[in-house]
Amino acid sequence: MNLLNKILLPLGLAALVAGNVHAQNKELVVGSSATYRPFAYENPAKEIVGYDVDIIKAVAQKAGLQIKIVNTPWTGIFAALNNGDVDLVISGVTINEKRKQSYDFTAPYFEARQLIGTHKDSTAKGLKDLAGKKIGVVTGSTGDDIASREFGKTNPDIKRFESTPVAISELANSGVDAVIGDNGVIAFRVQEHKQLKTVSDPNFPKEYFGIVVKQGNKALLDKLNAGLAAIKADGTYAKIYQTWFQAEAPALPAQ
Amino acid sequence: MDEVIRVEGLTKNFGQLQVLRGIDCSVKSSEVVCVIGPSGSGKSTFLRCLNGLEEASGGRVLVHGVSVHDNSTDVDALRSEIGMVFQRFNLFPHMTVLDNITLAPTKVRGVALEQAREQARALLIKVGLLDKIDAYPNQLSGGQQQRVAIARALAMQPAIMLFDEPTSALDPEMVGEVLSVMQTLAEEGMTMMVVSHEMGFARRVANRVLFMDEGVLVEEGTPEEVFDHPREERTRRFLSSVL
Amino acid sequence: MEPILWFGWFRADIIAEYGVMFWRGLQMTILVTVICIVQGTALGLAIGLARLADARHSPARQICRYLLRWPSTVYVSFFRGTPLFVQILLIHFAVLPLFINPADGLLISGETARSLKQNYGAFISGILALTLNSGAYISEIFRAGIQSIDRGQIEASRSLGLSFARTMYHVVLPQAFRRMLPPLGNNAIALLKDSSLISAIGLAELAYTARTVAGAYSRYWEPYLSISLMYWTLTLGLAWAVKRLEARYGRGDTR
Repeated sequence: MNLLNKILLPLGLAALVAGNVHAQNKELVVGSSATYRPFAYENPAKEIVGYDVDIIKAVAQKAGLQIKIVNTPWTGIFAALNNGDVDLVISGVTINEKRKQSYDFTAPYFEARQLIGTHKDSTAKGLKDLAGKKIGVVTGSTGDDIASREFGKTNPDIKRFESTPVAISELANSGVDAVIGDNGVIAFRVQEHKQLKTVSDPNFPKEYFGIVVKQGNKALLDKLNAGLAAIKADGTYAKIYQTWFQAEAPALPAQ
Repeated sequence: MDEVIRVEGLTKNFGQLQVLRGIDCSVKSSEVVCVIGPSGSGKSTFLRCLNGLEEASGGRVLVHGVSVHDNSTDVDALRSEIGMVFQRFNLFPHMTVLDNITLAPTKVRGVALEQAREQARALLIKVGLLDKIDAYPNQLSGGQQQRVAIARALAMQPAIMLFDEPTSALDPEMVGEVLSVMQTLAEEGMTMMVVSHEMGFARRVANRVLFMDEGVLVEEGTPEEVFDHPREERTRRFLSSVL
Repeated sequence: MEPILWFGWFRADIIAEYGVMFWRGLQMTILVTVICIVQGTALGLAIGLARLADARHSPARQICRYLLRWPSTVYVSFFRGTPLFVQILLIHFAVLPLFINPADGLLISGETARSLKQNYGAFISGILALTLNSGAYISEIFRAGIQSIDRGQIEASRSLGLSFARTMYHVVLPQAFRRMLPPLGNNAIALLKDSSLISAIGLAELAYTARTVAGAYSRYWEPYLSISLMYWTLTLGLAWAVKRLEARYGRGDTR
């Protein structure tokens, strides 16, 4: 960052990096990509609602934080965090090693698995069966990661879209053979199309969603973790999970 | 002498405005007819009705017995028999003088390019502009452009030439060169109809002069009759204002 | 691959890693642009002429009015009055599936439709949308260009016996074309840049490649700066080509 500063400051681009500084008591801006039903989406009244939203609101309440949720496109969500447009991100972000190098994560708040959405007549049982098929993913998502690792990141068979609904539309229109995405969203979207089904690959690892803050923002991270622990302890978490997924909340690891 | 053009009861309205109110006349082969009259009398509109550049509102125009304004008439074929020279020359600015002249013969008549070029050279010699054969129109003076325009019209070997105020847009010193080309044409026996303010030319070259005012043919006759012994009061008034 | 830093901050290795994808993306961007310039110009000419169509006698007069002028006016108004991005999504997810669809495509269905959609779906939709859009804009350029030609030119040509079509071809269009070159050049450059919007439906062109890289690494300078330079180079090349054309066809114009 220092080097970047050295380059940018003489160019008069100081404003770009000035987002580093932020006050403690101000309203925190939460970035969330609201095209990710049921985690975060806009209802007809233009409010951003969903599982993620309920979680962060409950966490903020426990932690005594003022928050404002801003709809931030997924492709620019980390850039928004980097340049200070948002203070934290809750947007179904999978915790992984690569991201941990650049950002800090809270404890998990959702157990995610990748899920394959495909046509009812497909015989695919798992990821390996998708070799040579067109696979739709959301750019930079875990599904993108899995497909890129298995089939090569520059493989033209991988088709990347801005959001899961767009990828599912492409699947419904037969533009792709399968879509790999987060279980919550894929399951929700696939049941909207009668010709589609989901396929679960047992080899897909268990993953967790975490709340993201800028690397080194320990003060905020601690508050968020405390709030998260509090809602898990008092049953608020289980209630929210039940509301959105009609199922018992699974036990989540502490870190 | 056979009749090239016959006009019967020609009328023309632009909306409410009656520009031509029933014109009857005819032009015979090798005749030179000058149309004179005050501005706005309908002279140009009349001329433009003869080759169908303007639709007639009523009456008819026959060229070699074919009605110009009939739906079934092949107006393009008819027009290729009628040369027209415009006040503003209207040369094609993106073509050389040579291409301006050869365009219509090659595309409409299907004349071979080499033959069309040969003819173009002959026509340019006639109008005295062979040295400008490869020039573009914007490299020529107004008088030169108008002479090229005459050559362009002649290239179709028309049965009649229509001149729509051919010298009105020219600087005075260039009027003479254009008129002398036209006079030569007349002497060679070309059938011509000329709308012009050049009374001297009309008197010298025309076989017949038509005086038009307010959309009607007021008077016609030989130049001597019209210029020296006008019968109508309106003709007299007009002549005294321009001569 | 080991991180390679240029100027201390530019991760050149990322670009190198996706090099083949950038190369293919560049080719795709150029291909789409060239196809759409050619098709858009042809369409624009046809629509521009249709908007000027008129005849003296019925029924040709009525045909010109109701079958040529009105539809072309509505068409131009629609494609200039709605965002290209919306047109792309509309065509790809709504219009195209109507015609090419494995289940019940009006034009093509069955296995052919599936493979067509999977291999060329985004390509077809993108080309279609961009062609229709640029055709609308180009038709206005043609219309203005044709209308800028002095009536005397048409009258001189018609009085020589040239038909309307020949007059257009030999007299009006060559002159109009010269005047249209600068706006046509601008349009081509706009088209090149607008082609980036097709990335939204998964066409692997330059912007798509940058998005893929940004998604994988959460780094934005490297991919977007790289494609910016590529777009810039392409637009400079286009501008140069237009200048050459202008010099070549500029002779004899009195204006």
